[in-house]
Amino acid sequence: MDLLTNIGLGFSVALTPINLLFCFLGTLVGTLVGVLPGLGPVGAVAFLLSLTFKMEPASAIIMLAGIYYGAMYGGSTTSILVNIPGETASVVTCLDGYQMARQGRAGAALGISAFGSFIAGTVGVIGLMFLAPLLGRAALSFGPPEYFALTLTGLTLVAYLTQGSMIKALIMATLGLLAGTVGMDPISGEERFAYGTLTLRDGFGLVPVAMGLFGVAEVIENLAYLGSQSVYETKIKGLLPNLQDWKDSAKPIARGSVLGFFLGILPGPGPVIASFVAYAMEKRLSPYPEKFGTGVIEGVAGPEAANNAATAGSFIPLLSLGIPTSAIMALFMGALMIHGIQPGPLFIAKYPELFWGFIASMYVGNAMLLVLNLPLIGMWVRVLKTPYVILCPLILLFCLIGVYSLNANVVEITIMLAFGIGGFILRRVGFEGAPFILALVLGPIMETSLRQSLLISRGNFGIFVTRPICAVLIALTVAFLVWPVIGRKKKRES
Amino acid sequence: MRSNIVVATILLALAGYVFLAASALPFGTLRVPQTAFFPKTLALLLAVLSLVLLAETLTGNETPRRSERIDTSGWFRIGATLVTMAGFALALEPLGYLVTTFLLMVLLLRAIEAQSWRKVIAIALATALISYAIFAWLLGVPLPVGVLGL
Repeated sequence: MDLLTNIGLGFSVALTPINLLFCFLGTLVGTLVGVLPGLGPVGAVAFLLSLTFKMEPASAIIMLAGIYYGAMYGGSTTSILVNIPGETASVVTCLDGYQMARQGRAGAALGISAFGSFIAGTVGVIGLMFLAPLLGRAALSFGPPEYFALTLTGLTLVAYLTQGSMIKALIMATLGLLAGTVGMDPISGEERFAYGTLTLRDGFGLVPVAMGLFGVAEVIENLAYLGSQSVYETKIKGLLPNLQDWKDSAKPIARGSVLGFFLGILPGPGPVIASFVAYAMEKRLSPYPEKFGTGVIEGVAGPEAANNAATAGSFIPLLSLGIPTSAIMALFMGALMIHGIQPGPLFIAKYPELFWGFIASMYVGNAMLLVLNLPLIGMWVRVLKTPYVILCPLILLFCLIGVYSLNANVVEITIMLAFGIGGFILRRVGFEGAPFILALVLGPIMETSLRQSLLISRGNFGIFVTRPICAVLIALTVAFLVWPVIGRKKKRES
Repeated sequence: MRSNIVVATILLALAGYVFLAASALPFGTLRVPQTAFFPKTLALLLAVLSLVLLAETLTGNETPRRSERIDTSGWFRIGATLVTMAGFALALEPLGYLVTTFLLMVLLLRAIEAQSWRKVIAIALATALISYAIFAWLLGVPLPVGVLGL
């Protein structure tokens, strides 16, 4: 009964005209960002974050979430039609989706990806609805040592799951933590590394840094290799998958939804990993694995379901523990904190209308996306044809205004440019920006909880291994660090 | 290979610098850690990680990802874009939003690809006006008014 009341409350928030409008705007911008290569969901959320100051907190988070899951939908459209993933979670969709398009089955691929995403998104939201409050209640007993261990495990896991070099990801995380120490000491209020500047006294702003690393750096990189992209010219007909398609896809969608949801909860780029794992799983379970990569619908349905379920799952640690697990969740945390709302174990109890409104808006948003994506695919294809030479100055202008509008402070534009250049250079030598952003946000939480833990234990580090939850988390951290080393040794021996 | 060694060396220097800079702040004790405690710990961690990266590179365990080469025109586009954006930061408050945005768009559009002036000016003008309408009127963002009163 309780649940029904809560869902009712949620829909009463989500269905107000203003929130419907913001939900629509979010999914629209999200699809756009997903379709367009060159600006990912992180950059888009960072940009729009600065515009959510004056909104109600519920409207703000509803819109930003719409961008996130909208981008997951939009990204697959370009994967299928032009073999260019709009964002990384749609990379695997290229494998079979593009082949289907070349065989004239673009419609079925787009259709199953949209329906699969819708079903999985809904499964994910239901999971979020049940799991977040449970975990939140459990987290009420967490003290500083548990929080320190959580942040430590989170960052290590992100580095462990990175596609590139683990040591480089760990370095980026450390640099992010260091950047997080700039500004006021979270406990004593003393000034650190601000060098007398007013802007740095509050620390590095999340928005200028994220826009630099994910907006400016990405555009610069694209500018370097400006080439012409060819859109696959195909008549898209028959968007509705036929009965056989549905039969083939039903199980992959179901498996992808469940798998994606749980992988999404883990720290790291949940949707990206979920899509890869789902593809591998479908290939293994399939009676004809050799056909994968030639345009089988299961190879589209599974990963597409998984990445959408994962977006819902990735909200769980943020909303119930107050710990963001990816760059984009770090931005969501920023969006809530701007409004003075601290996500964490008390979040759901303190702001039921916000939590349930957000959940309900995701149902609404998933339905909107189905409408936006299926009949409007022709329009998105035309958007994709917008020449990059026009698109790119526009994206840069949005980055500039977005950062300036935060505090009307030109210095923050400089910070964004510096992180843009730095991010571009680091990316070229194999360092990714995501662990940095995450660490920047987790830094103050980590420092505060570490220092408080030591105060409690009178300087004894044993406190981190004598408390059961803590001990498990620390053991996991050690395992993530040691595992790759052992794996490499074994490889060399064999 | 070479890039990893350069990066690791720079990171080591950075770790050393942070450690020294943090020494000006109170460290406290392990029982009562203070302001310098966390930064100093991180500086040590960064130094250790840089050494691991260095060791991995030198023993050939770490295979650096090869980025595609960027040609001269690519570097020109990047350079021109960054300079124009830095110019935007400098000019925004003295010149005002409309003028600066117009100039930014003209310069960026021309720098990225030589397009006809008529097209460039039309796009730049439209962008400046439409974005002003969206941000200043619709979203209520206070945008700077320059000396020209625009």
